[in-house]
Parts: sequence; C-alpha cells; structure tokens
Amino acid sequence: MIYIAIILGCILGAIIGSLSPVIPYTYSSYLSIAIVAALDTVFGGIASVVKGNFDLKIFLSGFFGNSILSIALTYLGEKLNVDIYLAAIVVFVGRMFTNLAIIRRYYIDKWVNMIEKNKDNNIEKKDEKATE
Amino acid sequence: MKQENKIKIAILLGTMCFFLSAGIVIQINTVRKSTTTVGKTMVENELRDSVLRWKQKYENEYELLNKKEQELDSLRQKSSSTDESYKVLTSQLKNYNLLLGNSELIGRGVQITLNDGDSSMFRGNETQYIVHDGDLYEIVNALKNTGAEAISINGQRIVANTAITCAGNTILINGEKVAVPYVIKAIGSPAGLYGSLTIPGGYLYWLEYEGVNVKVEQIEKDTIVIPKYNGVYKFDKATISE
Repeated sequence: MIYIAIILGCILGAIIGSLSPVIPYTYSSYLSIAIVAALDTVFGGIASVVKGNFDLKIFLSGFFGNSILSIALTYLGEKLNVDIYLAAIVVFVGRMFTNLAIIRRYYIDKWVNMIEKNKDNNIEKKDEKATE
Repeated sequence: MKQENKIKIAILLGTMCFFLSAGIVIQINTVRKSTTTVGKTMVENELRDSVLRWKQKYENEYELLNKKEQELDSLRQKSSSTDESYKVLTSQLKNYNLLLGNSELIGRGVQITLNDGDSSMFRGNETQYIVHDGDLYEIVNALKNTGAEAISINGQRIVANTAITCAGNTILINGEKVAVPYVIKAIGSPAGLYGSLTIPGGYLYWLEYEGVNVKVEQIEKDTIVIPKYNGVYKFDKATISE
C-alpha cells in the first residue's frame, strides 16, 4: 500500500514535472537547494525507520520545513551577499552521508546475521544427525 | 483505526514523493534549457561532433556517387559503341554537362592568388588589406567579362547558381567554406585575361594599392585543372514555359 503510493507519487510527479513550464534560471538555485533539503529528509526518514524511532509528524515537518527554510536562507544570503546556500549544501549533504552510513551498517549487520544463522542452523542439523 | 492510519501515511508519502520528483524533473529541465557555461560547452561539443559525423557521411556518399557515375559512364560507352544514334546522344550529354559545369576541365589561362596583407606594414583600417567577398565578385565579374570559359576559387567551381557570401573570417562559395589564400583559376586566353586584370586602374590594381597581396600568373600550358561543380541543380518551382 505505502510502496504503491510512493511509486505512484514519483511517476505522477515526473510526468507533471516534465509537462510543467520551465522556471526562470534565477530561481533554479532556490529549487535546487529545496531538492537537496528534501532528499536529506528522505534519507533521514529511512535512517530513523532503521533505528526504530520514526515519527511521521517530524518527518513531514522536516520535509517541507527544511525545504522552505533553506530557500529562505538562500534568499537572505543573496540579499546579504553571502553564499549561505553553500553552508546549507554542506550541512545537508554531510547529513545525507551520515544517514546513508547508518542505513548501510544496519543492512550489512542484518546480512551478516542471516549468514551466521544459516551456518548455525546447518551445524545444529549436522550435530543432530551425528547424535542420531 | 490502524487501517485508516496506514491510508493517511500512504497519501502523505505519495504527495511528498510527488513534490520531490516534480521538483527534480523541473530542475533538470531548467538546467538543460538554460545556457550555463557547462551546458554551453556540452551543447557545443555535441554540435561539433554531429557536424563531423555529417561531414564524413557526406564524403562517403559523395564517393559512392562518383563511383556510380563512373559506372554509368562506362555503361553508356558500352551501349553507345554499338549504335550510331546513341553516339550522338552521348556527345550531346557531354556538351550539356560542359555547359552546366558538371565536368572537370583542363586548359590554359591565368591563376590569381590573393592573400591578406601584412598588418605590420600598413596602419589604419584593417579591413582595407583583408580579402573580402566583394573582391571575389569583382574579380569573377572581370574574368567573365574578358571571356573566361571556366572559373574556380579554391577548388569551388563558379557556375550559374554559385553564391559567394561573407561568413566572418571565411567566405562561403557554393555553401562550402573557403579561406585565405584564395587561388582563383580561370581558363581562357592567357594574354587577354592577364592584360585585362592587370590594367592600371583596374580592380586588382586598387586591391594591391590597399595592401592585399595579389599575384597574377599567366599559364600558357594546358595545366590548369578546374574541378567540376559538386552541387545539385534543382528546379522545384520553375517549369518550362511553352
């Protein structure tokens, strides 16, 4: 159910995005920072699912809040003649890598455990056979 | 209660994914259409690549065409060797091809070499000592006036529908780029052509005066080779009026 909704959302978004008009180039830097913020939230959400402390409210507020906040900060930086968006990108991408590392560790652990369990099972079975 | 919650989550995640993917696609489209320096060089490289590919294709096709034409010629000769009326037709065909500029010609005449002047020797307007498209018209015109039978500039045959166009630091002749030095070959009476071109107060006289390197050679032996026109005559809109 959830997976279907996600895939449907992605496909619909891609179709509507390809049909919609192109935004002016000056605003594309805002959109790009918003995309990076949203991607960061998505990876953060996956990591929190892995950790087991996933909260939908935090996830959603992070998704939209981070995007809007990063756009606002970029705008402010432009007004102040400071490249704040660089700091935002560094933070977001850094967090993305941390979250990816958490996800990777979780799955590698799971995989290793599975292999060891299989081995143990085999050994137990062999032991059982030997005792018989 | 739990089922309801799940539906809610699904809808929320779906809208989220919708926004995210729509944003990414819009951004990709924007970046592709805008002319950033990275995008520009990429587009330029692609264009250069395609030009090269088309050029190669064109050359291959042209070679094939030449081969086929030779085959056609040999077949014509074979068939015309038996019949007398065919012989007349073949000679007519040759004549028409000569008139259209579709055959390579050899003969005597003049060879004019034009080159841009040396900028260190002249001061003032740079355009004065550069060879322009207009200079080529004037020379071609003068050659035609004096009865040149066939003219070529840097291997491009001048025929009835030839256009000479300025294209920045090169000149387009028959749609092909040519650049300095311009070698203009003309078949005709060597002495007559030479005399009319080098007359004091003539066009070449003034060109030399302005700083262009001009060299006119009178070639008395039949060594001037003028290539055939490699374009196509097209009559789409025109029909013969009765």
